[in-house]
Amino acid sequence: MTVRTPHPRESILSARGIVNRFGKQVVHDHISLDILAGEIIGIAGGSGSGKSVLLKTLTGLRRPNAGEVLLTDKKIDAIGPDVKAALIGVLFQQGALFSSLSVAQNITLPIREHTDLPAAEQEAIAVMKLALAGLPVDSGIKFPSELSGGMIKRAALARALALDPRILFLDEPTSGLDPLIAGGIDALILQLNQNLGVTVVVVTHDLTTLFTICDRIAVLADRKVYVDTPHNLMRSDHPWIHEFFHGPRAEGAEHGALIARKQGHGSR
Amino acid sequence: MPQVALEAAPFRVAIDDVGDRLTLQGALDIRTLAQAQRLLNEWRRQRKLRVLALGKLSALDTPGALFLCGLRNSGMELADVRAEHKALLDLVGGLELKPLPRLKHVPRWRQLVIQLGKGADDAWHATIEFITFVGHAASLIGNALMHPRSLRLASISRHIAETGIEALPIVGLMAVMISIVIGYQSVAQLRPLGGEDFTVNLVAVSVLREMGVLITAIMVAGRSGSAFTAEIGVMKMREEIDALEVMGLDPMQMLVVPRLIGLVIALPLLAFFADMMGLLGGAMISFSLLDVSPLQYLERVKSAVDGWDLFVGLFKAPVFAFCIAVIGCMHGLRVTGSAESVGQETTRAVVKAIFLVIVLDALFSILFEQLGI
Repeated sequence: MTVRTPHPRESILSARGIVNRFGKQVVHDHISLDILAGEIIGIAGGSGSGKSVLLKTLTGLRRPNAGEVLLTDKKIDAIGPDVKAALIGVLFQQGALFSSLSVAQNITLPIREHTDLPAAEQEAIAVMKLALAGLPVDSGIKFPSELSGGMIKRAALARALALDPRILFLDEPTSGLDPLIAGGIDALILQLNQNLGVTVVVVTHDLTTLFTICDRIAVLADRKVYVDTPHNLMRSDHPWIHEFFHGPRAEGAEHGALIARKQGHGSR
Repeated sequence: MPQVALEAAPFRVAIDDVGDRLTLQGALDIRTLAQAQRLLNEWRRQRKLRVLALGKLSALDTPGALFLCGLRNSGMELADVRAEHKALLDLVGGLELKPLPRLKHVPRWRQLVIQLGKGADDAWHATIEFITFVGHAASLIGNALMHPRSLRLASISRHIAETGIEALPIVGLMAVMISIVIGYQSVAQLRPLGGEDFTVNLVAVSVLREMGVLITAIMVAGRSGSAFTAEIGVMKMREEIDALEVMGLDPMQMLVVPRLIGLVIALPLLAFFADMMGLLGGAMISFSLLDVSPLQYLERVKSAVDGWDLFVGLFKAPVFAFCIAVIGCMHGLRVTGSAESVGQETTRAVVKAIFLVIVLDALFSILFEQLGI
């Protein structure tokens, strides 16, 4: 089975008619969503709107109650773990770094399991991923419990990049970080997207992140999804979306994003 | 043109050769990297290579780029590079890469000495910590008994239910089994001497004095001692203990005292239940091996056992309970950030608790022997 590289602006991952429910509570009601190769798409929504459930569904960790997820035109359940690992990388909200392994070992673990490269080579790759994620080399021998919040996110990002995935899922990459470090993470995501060509799906309710880096935003509201560019969503007349993008914190974030863009942070 | 191709579904690397120039074909990524390296080394052994053409490379990822940058640094020329690959090569080549720092190597004998010293130091500190903890817990319990209103009855009863009532089936089963084991052994040993009638005495006395409470304590140490460590440990990990302290609540008072009191109440009751089940097991074995009817069995037990036997057994139960709870809670509070440390502390707590229970039991045996009870 070969994996075709989709052309830019072609769907690399698509969800068709997804229904997710827990007991009687319906979280997603026939949601369809196409993720295009090479884009950065944000998934936004209020707390409890099912952002994380959607992420789990898109990555194949959760089987939806109805509907299907197609990854490079194949059903995600039918894709073998080897190929799936090469296609998908996930940065979990709390990092989910293995606490008994050093950061470098965290990165080499998937490489060791999926390839037959010699140990020295694996280590060199790990060091490169650390550098790509903007971490100094001596953080490689540290353990996750010795890292600060921002470093945990970067280390987890380095691990998510271990097998050079085509799609990078980021669950709240900037939550719990100070604005400067969060800005650094935003810039890093943009840089990886541009230099490695990796498609990025970022779940967040950080408005600055949404405005600064996302090409399109999928907003979850009323069990449905509304996908559009940030520009068009700003003008949406859906009450919740309007509230979300025009609330007291939204104006500042948009302003900040404009400044960031002008400074070339998000030059696109 | 000779061509070497390697099939590695779904990826492929091929190299063709024109003098000192090699052309890479297919995808050079983390999966094909090892093969590409092997292949390239074979070619280099045959002749000196200067130029590597990348024009036919269909895919390149960061490990592949890292490998190519390494070749470039060692003097190989990369030719015919596509624009998208050049960007990646520039990115990876521009990174400042240093090897991972190595931990200093310590010779084996020195490691041994260091470990010995550390172990002794740890043991010393653990002992001090244990004594401090026992003192702290005892003072808190004394305080709680002086002011009964400060006792958390809801919490205590929950722990009695969890450590006591829920353990009834397994403890009862173990007690029956152990008395069957003792029964069989005594019949086998006493029959040649013609004293098999004394089996009942042996089973009843050993179950009431030793086995009932010992089995219960070991079971509870494994079951509830470990649960205490894991519960408190995870709370520590998730900063819940800190949250309590910030609220001006003493974690010892909130978490340790209810568990301690709960277990001190539950374990003697469990031990009594184990005693009764042990006697039941004795009745079963007497009936099946010796044809002693249950009524006769009861008569025999009544004549073989006096009140002291039951007391000697049950007297030990609260002491064991105190040790198990203190060790479980203490190790829970020693947990640090990682998931690994929860596992380590839980293991330590269970091992230490069972060890201490058995040591104390031996000491009690000597004590009661000296006292003549």
